Parts: sequence; structure tokens; C-alpha cells
Amino acid sequence: MMTLNDKKQKMPMLTMLSPITSMLIFLVVIPLIYVLVLSFCKTNEYYQVMFTFSFDNYKNLLSPSYFQVYMNSIVIAAITTVICIVLGYPFAYYIVKQPPKIRTILYMLVIIPFWTNSLIRIYGWKSFLGASGLLNNLFVWLGITHKPLELLFNRGAVVLGMTYTLFPFMVLPLYTAIEKLDLTLIEASYDLGARKVNTFLHVILPLTSSGIFAGAIMVFIPTLGFFFVSDILGGGKSDMIGNLIERQFGSANNWPLGSALSIILILLTLIMVRLYTKAGGKLEDLG
Amino acid sequence: MKMLKKVIGTTLIISCMGLMLSGCGASKKSSGEINVFNWTEYMPESVLKIFEEETGIKVNYSTYSSNEDMLSKVQSEAAGTYDIVVPSDYMVDLMAKQGLLEELNKDNIPNLKNISPAYLDQYYDKRNVYTVPYLGGVVTLCVNKSKVSDPITSYKQLFDSKYENSLVVLDDTRIVVGMVAKSLGYSMSETDDTILAEIKDKLLELKPNIMSYDSDSPKTVMIDGSASVGYIWNAEIAMSMSENPDIEIVFPEEGPYLFFDNMAIPKGSKNKENAEKFIDFICKPEIAKMIVEEFPYVTPNTEAINLLGDDYINNKACNPPAAEVAKGEYVKEVGDKISVYDSMWTELKK
Repeated sequence: MMTLNDKKQKMPMLTMLSPITSMLIFLVVIPLIYVLVLSFCKTNEYYQVMFTFSFDNYKNLLSPSYFQVYMNSIVIAAITTVICIVLGYPFAYYIVKQPPKIRTILYMLVIIPFWTNSLIRIYGWKSFLGASGLLNNLFVWLGITHKPLELLFNRGAVVLGMTYTLFPFMVLPLYTAIEKLDLTLIEASYDLGARKVNTFLHVILPLTSSGIFAGAIMVFIPTLGFFFVSDILGGGKSDMIGNLIERQFGSANNWPLGSALSIILILLTLIMVRLYTKAGGKLEDLG
Repeated sequence: MKMLKKVIGTTLIISCMGLMLSGCGASKKSSGEINVFNWTEYMPESVLKIFEEETGIKVNYSTYSSNEDMLSKVQSEAAGTYDIVVPSDYMVDLMAKQGLLEELNKDNIPNLKNISPAYLDQYYDKRNVYTVPYLGGVVTLCVNKSKVSDPITSYKQLFDSKYENSLVVLDDTRIVVGMVAKSLGYSMSETDDTILAEIKDKLLELKPNIMSYDSDSPKTVMIDGSASVGYIWNAEIAMSMSENPDIEIVFPEEGPYLFFDNMAIPKGSKNKENAEKFIDFICKPEIAKMIVEEFPYVTPNTEAINLLGDDYINNKACNPPAAEVAKGEYVKEVGDKISVYDSMWTELKK
């Protein structure tokens, strides 16, 4: 039974919830359903979508060449994630150990590059690493090489670009996790006779593992979709899932196939998040 | 449950109000204006200004970067959203067949007389019922002479293992697959499955030689010398030749890839006469000259070429010789075989 008092309490709730709900329905739920429906459709000779039901797109996606693209994406994403952890962990640890003033400055230095569009920063890397770029000119001037090195258009360049773009996504969750670390536990570990390595492996690492997991998810998943990095720094030679999707919605103009690819990417993402929660990660930590 | 219903109900009401409000903005009555939808980096702003000053017609200009992009906008937006579009050859064919284009009234376009007959009456628009050629060009080879000693005369030479990791090609399925098909003596638009399988095998042989795929600015790697051979737009070749004297344009014996972009009026245009005025204006020699000076593609305007003088006429990259253009080929629609092209491209780029 509803009383007047109940209604009074519900009005503010309705006004607060409706905008966000409508936003979610119109900008997330409906587009996702549309993508799902499209993925079972086909196009006619005029590139128009025909709303007929078929599994053809998904059958196509099981072919070996697509499979190799998925594997390539996963390998590049995994390498990027590992490099980000190896570089990001000591970096985040170092920031936390600084006095508050320096800590703020270092923290800002991680965030400030975010304020520039990542596409522009990737083009910056391209001209920096190019045959007539700053780095090669420096090498030649120092006499390290006579001919410019071929630094661009290979997988290494793609991994470099991905690592550079996604590094902050690793550092920030690590920073939060390490900041929360209870120092008394480390002291206790030392008091009980553990050495530095043991303290790190058995006390610090397990206590900050939530940050590592969260960072890994936040680096791994976007890497699969960042088509522009492999386009620009990889010279378009090592396609990732993101490139395939972009092409189907762009020049190939096959939206149904592109939608099926997007669904595959979403499934991959869901599997990753499931693994993450299974390993004890919390969804809230992903921000 | 009641709570949920209320949330959804209020949500729908708010959204409907939003839709109604946004519907109001679109119903503005238009007169004395045209909506031009053109490729990016393809028409100088100064040209639009002169048109506005001369005719008092306001130009609303927007851009796209692929034919497919333009097509899907024209198909999905309300009729009359655009008054001028600039589709390429094969896209004209496709749009005309779909009934998406208005027939032009040639009486309103007297300057059509300036257009060279070589660019009129093409396969995609016989007797130019729907379109007037705007700008075009070729995709052909360019070579860095300091890195390549052999004379290049054929696409076949690009498969040689000595050019490992040294080619820059456009990031475009039909253009690159078309080149490989031509190297085998086929057309750029084959649809036979056995021939396509043969083309695919040959295409994969090219893979180790390709250094990068780039449609935006392939000139960069030609100019800095990291690529020795390019298969790129003639305007990009023209620009790299002026930056690096070692670079030379090459017309292989199989002939170049041709493209031509054409002004057309989409079906349902509300400003058809103004749009025809605009087309006529673009065909004026001095205007066509201004356009080519800023964007060095091939102009079909004979009078403009005369105005541009010998520097332009003798520059093979800006103005490819007619004999070479005659050897070239336009790509055509391949129907549902496009998926075969797409899958070999995926195979190449994985």
C-alpha cells in the first residue's frame, strides 16, 4: 500500500534516476541490441542492410585468417599488458613513496599527456621514429649507425605505441592499490625475519594484486580495439580486431560483418572480465 | 516493480520530449542556399566565397572521406539534405542504378563546353545524364632513383625479392588488388572465382615487399627515403617529387588505376537550380584553375589547363599524359564478390 509519504520520497528518486536510465537505454542498451540484430543480417549489392536471419557472418569469422587476427591481437595485448605491469609497478611504487608535494607533481605528469588526443600523440611517435625523425638523426649524428634504422612499421612499434598510450591506465589503479598498503604489515614481515624479496613476494604483492588485475584489464581490453595504433605505427601490416571492425564499418561497408566482429570483441571482453572476477578482482576497481 | 515502471515511464516521456524538440530545428524553410557534400581536402574555401559573392546563394559545406560514407549518408538522411555530392566513377554507376540522382538540365550549365570530351560520356554515366566531371587522377608508381637502379616498366617487377620491405601502397582493397590483377593481365574488376583465387595467391606474394599501407600521406615515406617504390595517388607523387628530386613518376606498361569524381545532384534536392548554378560555376576556367592550384589532381577543364600554362601541362605527375591515361582502368562494382576481395585483403594484412 502506498502512502502520501512514499510518493514524496519517490519523486526525488525518479528525477534523479530517469535521466541516467534514459541515457543508458538510448545510448547503450538500444545500440547494443541493434549491433546484435545487425550481426545476423546481410547486405545487398547496394551495400544496404537486408534484415534476414543468417549465421553466415559468424561462420565467416571462424575462418583461419580471422583466427590469426584474433591471435595476433591477443598476443600484442598480452605483451603490452606485461610491459605495462613491469614498468608501471615500480613507477607507481616510487610515486607513493614520495613526499606529498612531489607525489602530486609525478601523478600529474602521468595524467597530463591524457589531455592531448592520443591520435596526435601517436602521429608524434611516427615522426619521432621515422627515417628522417629526431631519433634516427640523433643516431646518425652520434655515429651509432650510418643508415637510418627501420624503427617503424613492425610489431615492436605497435607494442611501443600501445604501451605508451595505455601506461596511465596501469599506473593509476596500481597507485591506488599501493597507496592503501598498510605499512605496519611490512614492518611486521621484517620483524618476523623475512627478507626484502620474501616481503615483496608474500606480503606486498598479494596485497596490491587487485591493482595489478584492474590495471591489466584496463590495458588488455582497449589494446584489442585501438586500430589507429597498428594502422599508423604498424603501417597497417599487423591487423588487430579493431582494424577489421573499422574496415567493415568504413571502406568495406559491410555493417553486418562488422557487427558480428564487434560481438566477438564484446565476448572476448566479457571472458576477460569474468577471469578477472574469478581471480578475486572487484568490478568497482575497474572504475 | 512499480518503481521500475515509473522510472521507465518517466524515461520514455523525457526522451520523447527530447525527440520532439530536436524535430523542430530541422524544419527550417530553405531558399537561396545549397548544401554541398564533398571529399575532404578537395575544394578551396576561397572558391566557395567567390560563389557566394557572385550569386548571393549561401553554401553549406560538409565533407566525407569515402564514397561508401557518402552513400550511407545520402541513403539514411531525409531527401533534400544535400544538393551537391561528388561520387567517384563506380559510385555514380551504383547511385544512378539505385535512382539516387537527379537528371541535370544542361541548359543551366553552359560552361560544360569547357570540359574535355575525353572525360565525358564514360561508362558510369553515358551522355552525362546525371554528372559533370570535377577532378580525378591516377594511381601509379613512383620510384626513388637513388635506391632503385633497374628501370621499372611493369607491375610484375614489384614482386621481386630485392624490393623486400620497401614498397608503400595505398591502404585500399580495390586499388591494390586491382594492381595485382593487372600484373597478371586481368582486369581490375574480375568476378570469376578461379581467377580471383589466382589473384589472391599473387597478392600474398607481394606481402613481404610491402613496407606500409597508407592512404592519408604516403608521400612522407617516399620523401624521407624509407620507401623505394610507391603505388600512390598522382597528387601525392607530384608533392613528393617537388620535395625530393630523386623521386620520379613511372607509368607501367599495364596502365594505371583511374578515378574520377563527379558533381551530381541527389534525388529530392530542394535547390536544384541553385545546384546547377554551382556546377556551372565550378566549370568556369578560372575557378577550375584555382582548384587545381591548391589540389594538384587532374582537371577535366581544357580551358583551365590552357590558363595553367606549360609548367602544369608538362608535369607528368599533375597532368598524366593522355596516352598513359588511355591505358588505365576504372574499377567497377563487383556485386557480392566484394566479400572475396575483402577476405583476400584480410589475409594480406593479418
